[in-house]
Amino acid sequence: MSLDYVKFSNGFERFMPKEYRDMVEHGPFGKKVTVSQMGSFKEALEEHPMCAGCAMTLFIRLAIIAFPNPEDTITVGTAGCGRLAISQAAIPFVYGNYGDQNGVASGLSRGLRLRFGDKPKDVVVMAGDGGTADIGFQQVLHSWFRKERFTTIMLDNEVYGNTGGQESGMTNRGAVLKMAPLGKKFEKMDMLQMAKVAGCAYVATVVPNNPRRVESVIKKAVLIAREVGSTYIQAYTSCNIEYAIPTDKVMEDAKTVENDRYQFTEYVSEEAKQYLAERYGYKEFLPKPAAAIPNKA
Amino acid sequence: MYLVANVNVEICASKSCKLCTQYCPEANTIQYSEEMGKEQGFKYGSAYIAVDRCKGCALCVWVCDSLAKNNAIKMTMIDQLPKAALTDNITYGDKSTTAVLASPMVG
Repeated sequence: MSLDYVKFSNGFERFMPKEYRDMVEHGPFGKKVTVSQMGSFKEALEEHPMCAGCAMTLFIRLAIIAFPNPEDTITVGTAGCGRLAISQAAIPFVYGNYGDQNGVASGLSRGLRLRFGDKPKDVVVMAGDGGTADIGFQQVLHSWFRKERFTTIMLDNEVYGNTGGQESGMTNRGAVLKMAPLGKKFEKMDMLQMAKVAGCAYVATVVPNNPRRVESVIKKAVLIAREVGSTYIQAYTSCNIEYAIPTDKVMEDAKTVENDRYQFTEYVSEEAKQYLAERYGYKEFLPKPAAAIPNKA
Repeated sequence: MYLVANVNVEICASKSCKLCTQYCPEANTIQYSEEMGKEQGFKYGSAYIAVDRCKGCALCVWVCDSLAKNNAIKMTMIDQLPKAALTDNITYGDKSTTAVLASPMVG
């Protein structure tokens, strides 16, 4: 949990694999890297076994670059596709049992605060739609009601992609899948409203076809979770296998879905706005000067 | 044999939009080199592919053709590449700035 964990032990430098040497010499730790610098530094994420052209992987890759302090971050995940990539990053990863990722993260985030006091240590939960909205639903909601200070990110591919295509709570009504041949009979769950009702300080939807927006949303969510309260990001990350999207059309599909049902929405609580503006200088959340407010009379 | 992405340095070095580096689902696969284009006399650097990491999804081809409208990336059989950029050949142009925000807490 400090910069010390990515360095060579004395005398072992020349025995380390190329990937490790690159991580120490050109990695993102202790630096401020952005999405626009991608391709010129070594990323914390390494090779992973996820399918070719998977939009979820792209989102995870962008998310890991967007962490404000990767060396002070712990990711928590659960069963599902996402954990295959998240666990391959040079960032500590805790694998919760199915559905208890938000419970694990609650304890972890409280423990880190006890151990490190004021020094910010970020806990980020990244789980699929099944892990968040179905199996982990009870623990997710309770962590929000308790205002636990960590970020929950839902990787919403609208299907149980890892187990062959069963419908999940986040699947759209009428969607016919390999293991749901009659089509889903119920509406997609509205997790965004639920997050707002449960008292999350920051709620946003995002689609990975806009990398810079993904970056800014994740930065804000992690920073707010340090002090203000729970934050929730819902990301559309299509499953090109279960929904039979050709790999080169994945971003085209993301664009269509963004225009259709995944428009960018962002909810920031008043307390979080003030915190971001005062502590981190987010100018868009500063109260407008009196002269800028148009006079209605 | 299998297909991997291949960047046309001439087109890429004259545009240098860097969009493909932001859209590849594989980490550390599409790299950007300042020298690769400039040493051939072009204005900017160029993107290049670490072919041993490329899974051949062709997402970058769509990004280059439809989003950037540069048509610089084509899928090519791996044995027909003139020079494969293997992981061992990757160099990182480290230009990132030192972060200061680690613990902005006061008191």
